[in-house]
Amino acid sequence: MTDKKNGNAFTNNPLVRAIGLQKIVVLLVLVVMLVFFTSVSSTFRQYSTVLSIFDATYYLAFLAMGVTFCLITGGVDLSIGTGMFCYALAGGYMITHKDMPVIVGILVTLACGLIMGTINGLIVSRGGHAPFLATLCTMMIVRGLGAIITGGASITWPSSSSPNGWTRLLFKIPIGDTRYPLGIVWVLLVAVLLSLFLNKTRPGRYIIAIGSNKEATRLSGINVANYQMLAYIISGLCTGLGALAYCSAYQSMAPSGGGGIELNAIGGAIIGGTSMSGGSGTVAGTIIGVCFMSVLQIGLPMIGLQANYQQIIIGIVLIVAVYIDVLKNKKLA
Amino acid sequence: MKKKILAVLLSTAMVATLLAGCGGNKADTTTTETPDAAETEEAAEPEAGAEETADLSGMSFEIVSKGLQHQYWQAVLKGVESKADELGVNVHFVGPDSESNIDQQVTQLTDALNANPTAIGLAALSTDSVMDLLQQAMDAGVPIIGFDSGVPDAPEGSVLANCSTDNYAAGGIAAENVYAAVSERIAAADGTVRIGVVAQDNTSESVVNRGLGFIDKFAELAAADGYGVSVVGNDTYIDRATCEVSDDAKVIIDVRVPASVTSELSVADVNSLLGESDILALYGSNEHSANAIISAAENHSEIGTGEDQVICAGFDSGAAQLEAVRNGVLLGSITQAPVAMGETLVELLVAAAQGETVEDVDTGCQWYTAENIDDPEIAQNLYE
Repeated sequence: MTDKKNGNAFTNNPLVRAIGLQKIVVLLVLVVMLVFFTSVSSTFRQYSTVLSIFDATYYLAFLAMGVTFCLITGGVDLSIGTGMFCYALAGGYMITHKDMPVIVGILVTLACGLIMGTINGLIVSRGGHAPFLATLCTMMIVRGLGAIITGGASITWPSSSSPNGWTRLLFKIPIGDTRYPLGIVWVLLVAVLLSLFLNKTRPGRYIIAIGSNKEATRLSGINVANYQMLAYIISGLCTGLGALAYCSAYQSMAPSGGGGIELNAIGGAIIGGTSMSGGSGTVAGTIIGVCFMSVLQIGLPMIGLQANYQQIIIGIVLIVAVYIDVLKNKKLA
Repeated sequence: MKKKILAVLLSTAMVATLLAGCGGNKADTTTTETPDAAETEEAAEPEAGAEETADLSGMSFEIVSKGLQHQYWQAVLKGVESKADELGVNVHFVGPDSESNIDQQVTQLTDALNANPTAIGLAALSTDSVMDLLQQAMDAGVPIIGFDSGVPDAPEGSVLANCSTDNYAAGGIAAENVYAAVSERIAAADGTVRIGVVAQDNTSESVVNRGLGFIDKFAELAAADGYGVSVVGNDTYIDRATCEVSDDAKVIIDVRVPASVTSELSVADVNSLLGESDILALYGSNEHSANAIISAAENHSEIGTGEDQVICAGFDSGAAQLEAVRNGVLLGSITQAPVAMGETLVELLVAAAQGETVEDVDTGCQWYTAENIDDPEIAQNLYE
């Protein structure tokens, strides 16, 4: 580790090394951002803003946690944004048009994610396609599928006041007159499970190994294709969970929508310290990065910034995040 | 090796399930929808035959819509059929599988022309792609009537008239109702008041006109009561609004447009509008924007129709919006009149076929609230 030699007292501090410098920096920036928004906008101080930020965090967190695994293998999954819409449309269609129980809708949504994740994994690991291209193609496929399944109509999952609306309550539960962001429990639960899987199990370590040196991993007798595929399956399943979170927070799911959301999720993962070139990344970092994205998304309109300026700021933030990644890689090289 | 075979088997099974799943869905939608259309068409034809003694019996019309999947189009079809029955004419109503399937619509229009009809009704997905066919129809002397969005920029003389919703006027009706609900509170307010317009985009003519109609009408009503008005937010709307603006405005109309059409961005717009201390009312100018208001209402108890709550109005229908109107989350919403549009279309086709001069018709829209949502007159135009 060359950076140990170059580092100062702060970066060599065992606690800092354990948490990761980038995560600490991003957390600090996140706190600064929260203080800034709170002091500039009186709206931002309201409780409803907290709920809105959580609404915008849940689905993005699931997508980003999934894609973190693909990024760690050195790949990427671009199908998660449109996929999320497609799976939620398929599940919602079962409930609203086929009068199936809500649980069937949930299972269909998750199954769609699992199946598309497996297909992505097969194309990348067995077909040898570049992940970027393979998932770009499946992104188009799921976009078309979503429209075909619903016959071009948009779908709204049952509202929170209807008896079938309990999926919404799972993420935001009313107790008395106040609603509480229950979804945070599910996100953290999945985050802990995935984090343990990534760091404490053999398949998890193999996924990291593939990203840092695929050839060496293969030569050490590990079936690279299988573990690469596993990363995409995890991404697909997480997208299914994200779909449930999205349709629980919002009303309209329009067919062929969702494009661009994958970039917010990937952006969140990169801000959180996952390397674009693979081999490193943590689930905790991704969660922090996603919070960063969702706070920006909710906060920027509140300080009166028009839509197009918001895009520019998020773009600049991503450039900086990727630049930090590039610098880290240079240091390691 | 065993592992490989297993993997291949597993993946084949998964792909098969996916295909079966999708195939199943697809088959379901077609079987549920096609018989409907076929049945109703068949039902219409014998009756038309029965009334063959009427003057119009020899007339047959081809109608090419933008698709049959949306409830909206089903309602247009309903109006077309009831009017065709009444007048005793034959109609054949088709539409592409989706609103992006331009080639399919061109084929359908070609078939319609080849069927040698008395006249054609057309809601073009793309004017450019049907330009040659419009010329052919003119040469063959087949009159064309546009409906819904009609045939924008069609060559002179090719489309005799359009029947469509006047979106600008529809936005105005929303403004009148919202203004009536908040006028006392504007009068009572010490400082400024803010009216939020949540628009899906600033490019689609129908969406922009619904926004502009609202802004101009609201400003007109406010000015009539002696208040200064200003328009802030999105530049397109600021530039195109024709209302008088003053520097010393009491009423601020604040237009928000997201960077792309997704729920979470529009909801963020609503959140930030609700955060303004002087916010009084919100207007979502299509189903997407109205749904964003409804999503935000889950977190914001200040949205509602009670005193001191933020009054909200929507546009079009859909399951979420109908429920929100019933529950008092929205004060009301505007519905277009697809059934009336279908009926007017047939009337115009008959008139054009008889060589009468035809003019553009605004098929109108209705303001619906929790009180009148179940009136048959209105309910026929609402869809989930």
